[in-house]
Amino acid sequence: MATYQDFIQQNEERDGVRFSWNLWPSSRLEATRLVVPVSCLFTPLKERSELPPVQYEPVLCSRANCRAVLNPIQVDFKAKIWACNFCFQRNPRGPPSPLVFLYVVDTCLEEEDLQALRESLQMSLILLPPNALVGLITFGRMVQVHELSCEGIAKSYVFRGTKELNPKQIQEMLGLTKPATPGQQALPSTLRFLQPVHKVDTNLTDLLGELQRDPWPVAQGKRPLRSTGIALSIAVGLLEGTFPNTGARIMLFTGGPPSQGPGMVVGDELKTPIRSWHDIQKDNARHLKKATKYYEGLATRAAENGHSIDIYACALDQTGLLEMKCCSNLTGGHIVMGDSFNTSLFKQTFQRVFSKENGEFRMAFGGTLEVKTSRELKVSGTIGPCVSLHTKGPCVSEIEMGIGGTTQWKVCSLTPSTTLALYFEIMNQHNAPIPQGGRGAIQFVTQYQHASMQRRIRVTTVARSWADAQSQIQHIESSFDQEASAVLMARLGVFKAESEEGPDVLRWLDRQLIRLCQKFGQFNKDDPNSFRLSESLSLYPQFMFHLRRSPFLQVFNNSPDESSYYRHHFVRQDLTQSLIMIQPILYSYSFYGPPEPVLLDSSSILPDRILLMDTFFQLVIYHGETIAQWRKAGYQDMPEYENFKQLLQAPLDDALEILRLRFPMPRYIDTEHGGSQARFLLSKVNPSQTHNNLYAWGQESGAPILTDDVSLQVFMDHLKKLAVSSSA
Amino acid sequence: MDELYVKPGNVERGWNDPPQFSYGLQTAQGGPKRTLLNKRVAHPQVSGAHIGPSPGPPRPTPHAVHSTPPTNPAPPPRPCGTPGPPPAGMATPPQPAAVLQSAGPPEGQSEVAPGLDDVVALFNWALVACRQSVKKHICDDMEKRIRLFEEMWRSGKLSLPVRRRMNMLVQEMKNRNWDASDEIHRALMVDHVNEVSQWMVGVKRLITETRNLPPELLSAEEGAKIESNNSSLPVPE
Repeated sequence: MATYQDFIQQNEERDGVRFSWNLWPSSRLEATRLVVPVSCLFTPLKERSELPPVQYEPVLCSRANCRAVLNPIQVDFKAKIWACNFCFQRNPRGPPSPLVFLYVVDTCLEEEDLQALRESLQMSLILLPPNALVGLITFGRMVQVHELSCEGIAKSYVFRGTKELNPKQIQEMLGLTKPATPGQQALPSTLRFLQPVHKVDTNLTDLLGELQRDPWPVAQGKRPLRSTGIALSIAVGLLEGTFPNTGARIMLFTGGPPSQGPGMVVGDELKTPIRSWHDIQKDNARHLKKATKYYEGLATRAAENGHSIDIYACALDQTGLLEMKCCSNLTGGHIVMGDSFNTSLFKQTFQRVFSKENGEFRMAFGGTLEVKTSRELKVSGTIGPCVSLHTKGPCVSEIEMGIGGTTQWKVCSLTPSTTLALYFEIMNQHNAPIPQGGRGAIQFVTQYQHASMQRRIRVTTVARSWADAQSQIQHIESSFDQEASAVLMARLGVFKAESEEGPDVLRWLDRQLIRLCQKFGQFNKDDPNSFRLSESLSLYPQFMFHLRRSPFLQVFNNSPDESSYYRHHFVRQDLTQSLIMIQPILYSYSFYGPPEPVLLDSSSILPDRILLMDTFFQLVIYHGETIAQWRKAGYQDMPEYENFKQLLQAPLDDALEILRLRFPMPRYIDTEHGGSQARFLLSKVNPSQTHNNLYAWGQESGAPILTDDVSLQVFMDHLKKLAVSSSA
Repeated sequence: MDELYVKPGNVERGWNDPPQFSYGLQTAQGGPKRTLLNKRVAHPQVSGAHIGPSPGPPRPTPHAVHSTPPTNPAPPPRPCGTPGPPPAGMATPPQPAAVLQSAGPPEGQSEVAPGLDDVVALFNWALVACRQSVKKHICDDMEKRIRLFEEMWRSGKLSLPVRRRMNMLVQEMKNRNWDASDEIHRALMVDHVNEVSQWMVGVKRLITETRNLPPELLSAEEGAKIESNNSSLPVPE
């Protein structure tokens, strides 16, 4: 391998792992001095088409209290033995169990939305795995659990939307605890509400087609009474009682905030708006704490049973994602946020939940991840869509980062892009000799239920060499993966932001950045102009600059629901997508050459260029002023200007390819110089040229941005000053 | 042709709603190699490069130099005599070329519009075969939905792409390509759910039941079906 970049890339392709440092400092003290912890991004189900599943149990270490899995790192082929350095715990495996899809549908929708939703739900029935069980709960003021019998009149059980019931009560009321009375059709009681889709598709299609709007009238100045809390509670209770520890998805479709019963987020008076960040900061959100606690309780129960909860929220106003987000965050379920069910964004994103790769469903269920480490390392924690399994053991570090205190986590729903961030602590004492064998090792054991109902285990084992930080600091520096580190630090920042004040998180992030620059920058003391960073760190300050401005850490200009939505996707995506979210990609299209990446800077906005910006959540195509004028004049329709037509088409084609496959589907913005939608581009680029410095900066090109935000140049100036200062 | 298209999103209901892809286009594995958009540029200040005006030919900002943008701008550079060739790396647009402008493939096609009689004849054949062994209420339900489909076709409620693809579906069934017919039904349900949702589940069930029938039941009916098949005529609009 020529460079560390090659090494990093090959390892990622093979193992699905990216480490912050690829050469590990051999002592605990040195590790803390590196600022960025030894940590990694791990994608458990990374696509590996050349790795077919083997149809036998993994070979385990023979020591009874060890039982780690045979892997290439440990094998001595000459002596034909393998020496193990882990401990392993055996988990029982049961017979294959069916997958359950429970639809929980809000009927307080406008007719147009309800019609679109009916059609999407009907369509989804044909996309489900063939042996899946399905169920339907609808809600508005009341909650109805529909019995899906094969023939006869459709029946449903109705619950009041205000009365909280415990799981046992729910199961009793649904008749799940009594044996069937004689004379009744001999249907197992569990299957009355959850039936195989191939048996009930005709009935359920008709039932969905006949779904009516919630019949309770909504008075002027009032919101519809939506009992989301009770509906979810019944869904969780139903599955808890009938299919514990089986792969299941509760899919909640909602068109507005919960306004009644436990878990209500806002009252029914329209004149009281739903809480904003301002309200929350002023402690003026009266339902927030109680509702959040309520949904956390439901989420925890669902996660314990291996069930995931998706939230498909389509409305022009907020729907309570801030309070309900734990339902998806703890269980690995999806959150999809749209304006209406009658949009391509919702319909296509929902379709992609059931997408396939090489004929196999991408979705997987009931995952558990266990991490084993060699003696010199311990596990501090994980940040990602999971819950702790509270597994104690020798690998558990006392320092917690993210969800810590364990070496096992549950990820109830996952896809090939689900990525967890794992943080480690190095245990060796300072000045202790380098450990025998020279390499530390980590094993990731992921167990999950494939959509074919088959249970699978995937084992990934990685190792990295130890290095003495005192004598080999340059090597350690070259092994720095700035992309992975940026994402790993960002996840820590977002995790903190959930419990700490915003400004504190920014201060923490800044402090880490300054320390890193002090450690690895080349400079003369107190001389900011002499400051330089090597190539392996050159992009890192830029990432941190954009991260500070990102919607993950800046809640200004976003509603609480939007912030929750962005953060939800940020802490589960793989490295490439996460980086796009931190620092959007910007490509420039022109007559002068092939499309090229350009600085995310106002100077890249030029009259004769088309820009394509990808923020992950939005795809923006921006036409420079001259391009826009040509387009308006219709040159693309003239045969002699065929190349202009091609130029206009090129970014569209590139954008389409991204739009075709991304989950969730991004917004698509086609705009131009002076267009109101150009603000999506202008707010993301570094404002190197603003109304404040238009004539002072000396740049002659690019469009000035009207902002008081600090530019990257100013940020870098401050950073250098602080890094080189001998008094810091 | 009908299966691969992109149409605009619903910008009335969702701001900046992205375009909608057909099922066929979404499930296509791979495609023409496009520019992989994953590179970034380091800021010159950090890498130690020369800090100055940004690279590229300097251009006056329109606001600074012109009071209003020119109403008749100089035309774009033409292909012949331009400073450089058209940018390399711009692949041809994906097949077919209808992107974001039209709502689907054009109506005027050179093929003859499919005949309803053919389609119904095949469904009837399958239904009759199923009645021998499949439960009555299931067969009744399937028949009810096929009749609804027939009714919608006759009264012109089904668009040409739907009719064309239903014809393809029955051809696949006739040739015992059950997976292919299943895939067509799935694509139709995704792409045209508003037209097909009421009866398509009946077609799905028919495919499932027919493929599970013992072969002798199917071939016995085949002869009868061929007899009743007359030459197809285009169905008048």
